[in-house]
Amino acid sequence: MSEVETPKRPSILKSKDVQKTAILWVVFTAIIGFVASTVQVRAMGAPASETMATTINMMRVFTWAASPVAGLVAAMAATSLLAKRHYGDAPPADADHEIRNSPRAASTWLVVSALLCLFAVIWGMIVLQNDNAALLNGKAMNINVTGQQWVWNFDYVDNGTTRSQDLYLPVDKPVVFHVTSKDVVHSFWIVQMGIKVDANPGYVTETSVTPNKIGIYDLRCAELCGLYHAYMQKKVHVVSQADYDTWIQSQGGKA
Amino acid sequence: MTTLTNRPAAAPGHSASKKALIERLNVFTAFGLGIIMAIVFWYAAKAFLPANTDGSFIKTNRDQWVLLSMIGWFIGFMTGIGALIGPFRWLLGKDLNHDENMFYAGKDLGVKRYFRYTTDHKVVGIQYLVVTTIIFFVGGVLAMLIRTNLGHPGGGWLQPQTYNAIVGTHGIIMIVGTIIMITGPFGNFIMPIMIGARDMAFPRLNALSFWLIVAAIPPILSSFFLGGIPTGWSAYNPLADQAPPGMDGYIMFICIFAISTMVAGANITTTVVKMRAKGMTWNRTPIFIYGTVASVALALPAFPVFFLSQVMSAMDRATGSTFYDTRGGGSGWLYENLFWIMGHPEVYVILIPAVAALMEMAPVFTRRPLFSFNLAIMGIAGISGLSVLVWAHHMYMTGWAPLLAGPFMLTTELISIPTGMLFLVLIGTLWRGRLWMTMPTASIYALLWNFMIGGITGIYLSDVPADAFLHGSMYVTAHFHYTLMGAGLTGAIASLVFWFPKMTGRMFDKTLSWVAFWLIQIGFNVAFMGMFMVGLAGQPRRVEAYAHMFSQGNMVTTAGAYVIMAGMLVLLYGMISSWRNGIMAPMNPWFAKTLEWTVPNPVPLENFEVLPVVTEDAYGYGRKQS
Amino acid sequence: MNKRFFAALGTVILGAAVIAGIGTYVASAKNDSRVLAATPAGTMVTPQGTLPHYTLDMSSYPDSMSGSHGKDGGVHPDWVTYGDYTNFKVPAHSVITITIKQYDSGARITNDFFAAVHGTMDGTATLNGKVVTSVDPEAVGHTFTLHGLADAKSQLFVSVPLPSLADSAVPDSGYSTTPNVVTFSFITGDAGEYVWNCEYPCGDGTTARFGGPMSTQGYMSGNFTVANA
Repeated sequence: MSEVETPKRPSILKSKDVQKTAILWVVFTAIIGFVASTVQVRAMGAPASETMATTINMMRVFTWAASPVAGLVAAMAATSLLAKRHYGDAPPADADHEIRNSPRAASTWLVVSALLCLFAVIWGMIVLQNDNAALLNGKAMNINVTGQQWVWNFDYVDNGTTRSQDLYLPVDKPVVFHVTSKDVVHSFWIVQMGIKVDANPGYVTETSVTPNKIGIYDLRCAELCGLYHAYMQKKVHVVSQADYDTWIQSQGGKA
Repeated sequence: MTTLTNRPAAAPGHSASKKALIERLNVFTAFGLGIIMAIVFWYAAKAFLPANTDGSFIKTNRDQWVLLSMIGWFIGFMTGIGALIGPFRWLLGKDLNHDENMFYAGKDLGVKRYFRYTTDHKVVGIQYLVVTTIIFFVGGVLAMLIRTNLGHPGGGWLQPQTYNAIVGTHGIIMIVGTIIMITGPFGNFIMPIMIGARDMAFPRLNALSFWLIVAAIPPILSSFFLGGIPTGWSAYNPLADQAPPGMDGYIMFICIFAISTMVAGANITTTVVKMRAKGMTWNRTPIFIYGTVASVALALPAFPVFFLSQVMSAMDRATGSTFYDTRGGGSGWLYENLFWIMGHPEVYVILIPAVAALMEMAPVFTRRPLFSFNLAIMGIAGISGLSVLVWAHHMYMTGWAPLLAGPFMLTTELISIPTGMLFLVLIGTLWRGRLWMTMPTASIYALLWNFMIGGITGIYLSDVPADAFLHGSMYVTAHFHYTLMGAGLTGAIASLVFWFPKMTGRMFDKTLSWVAFWLIQIGFNVAFMGMFMVGLAGQPRRVEAYAHMFSQGNMVTTAGAYVIMAGMLVLLYGMISSWRNGIMAPMNPWFAKTLEWTVPNPVPLENFEVLPVVTEDAYGYGRKQS
Repeated sequence: MNKRFFAALGTVILGAAVIAGIGTYVASAKNDSRVLAATPAGTMVTPQGTLPHYTLDMSSYPDSMSGSHGKDGGVHPDWVTYGDYTNFKVPAHSVITITIKQYDSGARITNDFFAAVHGTMDGTATLNGKVVTSVDPEAVGHTFTLHGLADAKSQLFVSVPLPSLADSAVPDSGYSTTPNVVTFSFITGDAGEYVWNCEYPCGDGTTARFGGPMSTQGYMSGNFTVANA
């Protein structure tokens, strides 16, 4: 494999296609980062928990971290397209060089991509650790969730033996969901709170969250569970502590 | 072992009855015998198996009959196509002689050789091309049914049971189609010529791997008439346990397909390792060969696991075992692990040949050497090696092993490093090349665009907190369509147009290829961008109806899907009309340097007059600077 | 050039037509178009004001000789089923009173939650004339559980258990002359698509018993459309 250039050549930055690519790189990075992060963040809507807020933020950060890579690929692709393109049944003349490798380019790319990967892993693990904190915190309230084809029901175990088809949560209070299934695998997904865990027959799995905004949100089953999987959905009501106490008492539970 | 040398053809003499048998067996006898055996096994099962007792509600008689009947179909079909003749003759000590082998290779048989158990790798390649097209047609029809139903929120055009069956069958058919779409037609037709060989290492296994695919198709199609499959393509137990007999069609489809893949894997790997032309060192072996070998080498450990998982599912369904039932001491997580241990390497089985094919085309259409051949190999090897270590990223949300979230996050992120190497090879080859714009060239750009989107969205999914939001939503569906279809299928269609002249002797109609390219790529991006949006907004996947808030995104996706359909139909027309009366192709229309372009059209039966001796690699483009 | 363009266009149109044909066939062949519309029954005074009142009648059977499966019971004559229809249509913003005649035997329900009455107008149902809020979980035949998409438009969740007849009261052929009769009322909101299914699994295929009639439409499940009048 021949090396890139002989020592006497002018700096690589002086060549026109490199300059063109560098400019395009900046432009594309900006566009891609801005568009991809804005559109995605907007589509996810307003978060109803700290967990979801950090997830949205993480996606924004990852998008910006990835956009220079995407921008570089786009810039180099664009530069090659902007050069003279040859159409027809006969090929153009061979390229002016026989470059087969650039150890510098390869190792730079390798190191940068490895660093970006590590960045993503570490960021993700830190977020994961924080999200799981409530599970270790003894002050969370507990709700048992049972999925059964094709409805959810809830046991408010901290409030007596109240069972309900409705999910009411007091705002700003950590809650741990203990989820199981009576038949097949379902998945307990409170969309705007950004939490999800599968409901497995024969096991109890856990997820936790602290809802931090009063409102009505969506619980959707996220694992195909047969005939009416699409209909296995419910509204989640996050209310003030007082309203929650009133509601739980109306269901026969203790506040 | 067959000995294929350049002797003039001798008419196959008539001797014992076995010779006449070889001449009589073809696809029609295969279907006929298969159907007969299916019926015989069905009635035998009904007659001899004990009836359901009241307490034995966890297995159903119907499943036993259906499975046994399909096994009967399989035995009948493979016997009827003549797969057993070779082994039987060898066992009897009367192995096939040279003339019989040439007959088997399709010598002097004309068009009939495509309907038989023909061993010539070029015939098998064409057979794969036709069957892959049929598979994609069926899968595509199912996709259009799905998108039409999802065109309005209330669903209801298709009932949920029908819809779920269509979704699952679309998925598994397309997965099988994408697995074989490059290694089937081009791995078989082109690869042996590209390495300077006369055929593959095991020509009879080659025919076997093809006909196994044909045998596998009626079981999955029959599932529609047996209640359909209620699971997605991933066939999760315990839902698969409770499913109607259509699930048995899925199980048989996979079991037969797994055997086909393993056979093809052994064949391709041995061929490349042992039969490269003299002088073709590993350094001079084209990158497409590396991609093909990596893909089948990945499939070799993965598919036996898939096979096993389905056998256990069949046993749970038909014999009352409880491998996957917690109430009997089993676990659904066992199924999920077994499935994804196959399921993740499998997506690289699909992807690597597509990227490798485009890496093979890139130097041809930039008239300069491939950038960093070594990096390309490292990338392919790195992806293959890491891909067996990442499977539980599909299981972050199952609750199975929360402590393993970190390690699997790490291995999954790491896979983006070798993947990035492949990007660098491609853009490095585009850099300072002399661009020859053809439809395959444009496909390279399309791959870069689609794979970038697919790859980055994969990075979000690989992080557990983001996955807690995105798993099981349409975002995942959009992500894997971007990688498998946007990258994989783009590479396959480019391969079709690129190698069409060698396989058919005619050029693929240029205008039609461009029209199809733009329709498919634009329709694809519109469709699946819309799908990302509804996924982010909270729409789960595999749903027959959805909340009104997702209407707009779904309408966009459905519109895009119709554009894809138009593009695919134009491609189909282009393929048929070019094949029938396209421009006759010269020996080397692309002025490329790999060995398949050194043989005339149509390619002679034994490929080379004289086996080539290789003295340099295939990337000797470019001129030394003066 | 022109010929090629028209041939390509023709392929697209032909392909689309083939797909449309397949789709139409599948949609019509696999859909059960029989829908029972609710019968008008005057008005009723409710806590939400005076609303129109409609009634629906159905039954749950121990086999498929009744219901919409034909005289011979269809493909699975031994499967339990609801009848005479399993798809229903009721108006929005109305009171719906459903009367179910339960002809089947039963046993202990798998999830006690569904042995209680949920979502009806005053939280009660009438069983053979007596007002109840739950039934004995050891003797449940089926449930009628109505639920749907978490759509912004409307929420509806009604679940009523249907007690079982004693095994001795279910004849070998034909049906008992004294089924359990359960009546309940609920108020519909905005128009929307809902589904109903039985939540006491007794099918085959798995230990969870949700196979067979439990997961095949037309037996223990169906559509429930709330439509604007």
